[in-house]
Parts: sequence; C-alpha cells; structure tokens
Amino acid sequence: MALHKPEPSNDAGGDMNYLVSMPRKVATIYLPTTVFLIVLLFPFYWMTITAFKPNEELLSQDGNPFWVQSPTLAHIKKLLFDTSYPEWLWNTVLVSVSATFLSLVCSVLAAYAIERLRFRSSRFIGMGIFLAYLVPPSILFIPLATMIYKLELFDTRLALILTYPTFLIPFCTWLLMGYFKSIPFELEECALIDGASRLQILTKIILPLAVPGMISAGIFAFTLSWNEFIYALTFISSSEMKTVPVGVITELIEGDVYHWGALMAGALLGSLPVAILYSFFVEYYVSGMTGAVKE
Amino acid sequence: MSNYTRRDLLKTLGAATVAAATPASALWTNMAHAADAKYQVTPEKGAKLRVLRWKRFVQGDEDLWNANTKKFTEKTGIEVRVDNEGWEDVRPKAAVAANVGSGPDIIVGWFDDPHQYPDKLHDLTPLANYLGAKYGGWYDICKRYGTRDNKWIALPLGIVGNLLVYRESHVKAAGFDGVPKDLDGFLKLCKGMKAKGTPAGLALGHAVGDGNDWVHWLLWAHGGKMVDEKGNVVINSPETVAALDYIRELYPTFVPGTLSWQDPHNNAAFLAGQCSMTNNGISIYYAAKNSTDPKLKEMAADIGHAHFPIGPVGKTTEFMQITQAMLFKYSKFPNAAKEYLRFMWEQEQFNPWLEASIGYVSQPLKAYEKNPVWTVDPKHTPFRDVAQGLMDNGHAYKLGAASAGVMADYILIDMMAEAASGQQTSKAAAERAQKRAERYYKI
Repeated sequence: MALHKPEPSNDAGGDMNYLVSMPRKVATIYLPTTVFLIVLLFPFYWMTITAFKPNEELLSQDGNPFWVQSPTLAHIKKLLFDTSYPEWLWNTVLVSVSATFLSLVCSVLAAYAIERLRFRSSRFIGMGIFLAYLVPPSILFIPLATMIYKLELFDTRLALILTYPTFLIPFCTWLLMGYFKSIPFELEECALIDGASRLQILTKIILPLAVPGMISAGIFAFTLSWNEFIYALTFISSSEMKTVPVGVITELIEGDVYHWGALMAGALLGSLPVAILYSFFVEYYVSGMTGAVKE
Repeated sequence: MSNYTRRDLLKTLGAATVAAATPASALWTNMAHAADAKYQVTPEKGAKLRVLRWKRFVQGDEDLWNANTKKFTEKTGIEVRVDNEGWEDVRPKAAVAANVGSGPDIIVGWFDDPHQYPDKLHDLTPLANYLGAKYGGWYDICKRYGTRDNKWIALPLGIVGNLLVYRESHVKAAGFDGVPKDLDGFLKLCKGMKAKGTPAGLALGHAVGDGNDWVHWLLWAHGGKMVDEKGNVVINSPETVAALDYIRELYPTFVPGTLSWQDPHNNAAFLAGQCSMTNNGISIYYAAKNSTDPKLKEMAADIGHAHFPIGPVGKTTEFMQITQAMLFKYSKFPNAAKEYLRFMWEQEQFNPWLEASIGYVSQPLKAYEKNPVWTVDPKHTPFRDVAQGLMDNGHAYKLGAASAGVMADYILIDMMAEAASGQQTSKAAAERAQKRAERYYKI
C-alpha cells in the first residue's frame, strides 16, 4: 500500500498551506461568493436599471437589456411629484420606528422576566410567546380588524403602530431571551449584593451588555414593519395614510398596465433606508445573532 | 344564465344598423323619456358617505368619477369621500368589511363578491328596477351577478371587456381575413401565425383577468362546465377532455413563456412585438395609440379587436370581469348611499364617465350602448357588445363562496396549463381539477 506523500510547502506556512492555494481559494471562496453576490444583488441591479430606463427601452427587444441606453429621471419624477410617495415614505418611517420602539420595550421586559425572574411557568410563557409568532398574519388580520374598528382606529397610523407588535414582540422576545441567557448570571448577583434593584440591574447592567442583541432585534423588527403589506392594506384606506408597499401598488398599477419604471424606482428608494440601516449596524447585527457576552 | 346565440347576434347587428342610421340625439331623447320610472329616497340628515372603489384603469375614469361625486355633494350637501385600492386588493378589503361589520358604506367590488356575504348587503331592488326601467334594462349577465333570490344585492357598474387583440397585418399574412368565428378556424389561424413567425400568446399563468377569461371561454365553448345545475362538480367530463385536447394542439402555437404569464405579461409581449394575438382589454390599443414611439403608433393602426370564436355549443361563451357596487348594512346612511348610487348611474353622470373611461368599461344598462365612445373609433366598437354573450363563473350553479374559491384557487387555469404543457394527460388534468373543485363545493 502506497503512503500518501505530503506536498512540499513553499513557505513558512507549513502543512496547512494547501488550504490557501489560489485554485482552491477560487473554488471555495471567490467562486461561491461571486455566485452568491450575483444571485443576491441582481434583483437590485435590475430594479435600478429599470428605474432609469425610458418606457420605449423597457419594451424594446433591441440592444442590451442589462444596460440603460438613454437613462431618464422621468420615473423618479413621476414617483416623487405625481404620486404621494413622500407621504407614504414618511408614514412608513413613522410606523416602522414607532412599532419597533414599542416592540423592543415590551420584548426587553418580557425576555428579561422570562429568563431571570424564574417565576412559575416562565418556560411555558416563553414557549407560548414563540408559538404566537407562528400564527400567520393572514389569519390574524380579521380578528384584529374587528378590534381596530371597535377602537375606532381604522384608517389611522396608530392602527398599524399597535398591530405590528403582534408579530414583532414574539420574535424580538424570543431573540432577546436567547441573548439574555448568554449573559453571565454572576454579574447580576454582584449587583444584587451591591443593593441594586431589578430595574437598576436591567438598565445599568443587562441592557448595556445586550446592545448587539437589541440592535439585531431592532433591525429585524424595523425590516418586518417596513415591508409589511396585509395589515397596511386592510387597516388603511386613505391615500395619505398608506405605507410604501401598499401605496406604490395602488398608484402605479392601473388595471393590467404596470408602470414598471416608477414601480422599480419606488422599490429602490424604499429599500435604501433598510440597506443603510443594515450597513451601519452590520457588526452588531452579526454578533447579536451569533452570541453574546463571553465569560 | 345568458343564451346569446347567432340569431341574437344578428338581431343586435340589425338593431345597431338602425341605431347607426338614426341621429344619436333623437335616440337619447326617446330613451330618456320612454320610461316614466320613479325612484325617491330621502337621504338622512347630516349624512356622510365613504366609498371604496378600484383604482382607475385610465385617468379619465377617476377624474370623471370624482367630478360626478363632487356634483352630488354640491347638489345634496352630502359629503362623500372616495378611496381607491388596487383592483385585486378591493376584494379582501370588502371581505373584511363584511365580516367585521364596519368600513366604507359603498364598495365597488368584483365578480361574485356580493354572493359571498349577501346577508350583509342592503336590498337594492327598487333602485335597480328603476334604473333598469329607465335605461333599457340590465343585461342578463348583470342580473345574474347582481341578484340573489330575486333581490338585487349589488348594482352592476360595468364589464371590463376582454377580447382577442391582434395585429391585422399578421392575421392577413397567415391567410385569414380577421379572426375566424369557429374553433377549427381559430386553431388554423394560430398555426398559420406561428409558421409566419408572428405567434399568438394567451396567458396560462395565474392571471386573474386575462387567464381566467379565456380558459373559461374555451371550456364552455366545448360544453364543459365546473358544476351542473344541482351543484355537483362535473369538470371531469368528455367535453372538458375535448377542450383540453384542443388546448394541447393550440399551446404549441403560442410564443414561449405563456405558462407563467400574469395579467401584465401579454400587454408587454404584444407591445414589444413578441406576440401578434392575445386576449386583453382595450389597454394594449391605448398604450400603443398614446405612445410617443412612432413604432407603437404604427402598431396601434394595425391593431384589431375581435370576439372569441363560437364552439360546438353554438353560442357565445365569453367570460369577463364584472364590477358592481355593494351597499353594506352597517352603513349609517343607507338612503344617502342609495341616492348617491342613483345619481352616479343616471345618464347625466354615467355617460360622461363611460366616455372618459375610453372603452375600458362597458355599460351594464342597454341604453348606454349608444354612448359615442363606442363609435368614435371603430376599434372601440367590439367592446360595446361585450355584456351580451357573457356567462358567469358560477355556471351552471349559483354564485357563492364555492365559485369564488374555485376561481381564487385557479383550478381551471391550472387544469388547462397542465394539459397544455403535457405535464398531465387531458384525462388526468380533468381528474385532478375534479378533486380540487369538490373540496370547495362540498361545503
């Protein structure tokens, strides 16, 4: 039986050097990353070029479809000046920020209580909150609609600000429970010995340590609120109260005529705030998802 | 159920010829004063109304609707707020409003919406009878969709026409002088167009309007139906298999990609010159006519509209979208709402609105056939008569949750697509559709 002979190494890297040879790097890192990036970014690219293509070019079979021959700002102009897009954007920001803030406050309190107060049946409550997340909005919106009408909140931003937490709180609580669990209990015990109250422990010890987890939960909550469609469609009727996902569809689809340029411009402008938010907090976001404080 | 036969078609053509030879103003005067129908309700004091309707298909439609509403407010002092929603999104909103018992007073919805919650709607019989008597009567299809147990539960607003849209020169090049009136001829035309490199293309994806419209026509043209008169699912029948065998021959003549087409795709493909015949409303023609691109303007002059061919059943079996206004019982001001509906359907308001809708919507009342929009451009004229031969999606049973469910689940389109693509044999596709439909009609 022939013995496998190790390949000679060229530098001080030793036996592990084969892992970083260029062909292997290309095959294991660059190629998959490139494919992944293309798949991920192509829709954004398509959205961007469609937003700047004149209508004639959108329908034309001539020329390169992946490039804009004669760029135009007509679709952006139509979106910003011929529709209520700025108002929709403002509504979306207001609703998303408020719902996210409200959900985070509730989730922090809920997650901390379930993880640390050790009251009877806290595990079941934690499980119950998680299960609530599994109820789809397409089932929830009818009973919620009844409540919204009874509370006379129909067609107000408050209808969305108060209903979005129904799916945000369970998710954020579940995420923060995992995060709080990874914070060493000894830190709290020290604070307790020093005479800190539960609220002081939460605000002065736990929350500063849990910032990455809260940012993760916040970004998730913000994105879910930003893209939400079914509640926004059901609970809002007035054009001036609509959010971006519902507004663009109402205004820019006329029967079977889709104003693709303006629709794509709307989607592009609508996705920018979320993309910017992600880019600022991506490191916190990753650490929030992968773990918390190391002991 | 409507039975629009060739004989009826001849009668209509005869009537249209007489109408064309008579001055329009004289006809209007005769029509308006022919019926001395009376209808009066006293709107509640301090009434305020909220109306939800589908978003415009054309700007003129929305402008005229709002102008008429403003006129109503000026005349009666009743404040009316009109909200718009995408046409497919009105249906879930109407369902929520019906279920929670609160929402807009009037909702202008689609298809069999009123038959899903008839007990939540006001009886509009006196108003519908008044309008029918005054304006030449409602088309049969409007009665079918608007009434339940002999009561009007909704007021039909119109039909969004859906006809064959084709390039006249390409049809001629394939050896035909217009779209043939029979199924064999239609198949030959499609084969001829394919051979010339100018194929047809009809949606087989989940296209609510275009897809449903033509597959229903094809099934009914062969004598197939989803349910019989007693509500038994009978889609798995020799007639259905014949329709499926037909589509298996027709589909290879289509431009590639129709299996995934939704409502906007055929518009884009036609305007891009990828296909030379499809089924659609008047929107393709208008997009070409109003374009600044000289190529599209040239295309507009070459566009023709035709009714679907007649199958072995020997009568028109077309299916199109109908839209109707529903007045909900939770409304605090039902009389004001009825008065608003009456006002909007009267000729002084309805005619300008119909004209501003430039052929997208066809009238529900026969007298409005004389609206000049149908003759100002000969390419509009086929859309004038769309209501005459229509059938409803509940055929041959009553409309309701089951008929709505079957259509919302795209059972018919899926069956046609499965057979057309060869994914299933005709028999297997019909069997699968039978099983799927039975789930809805069991309830």
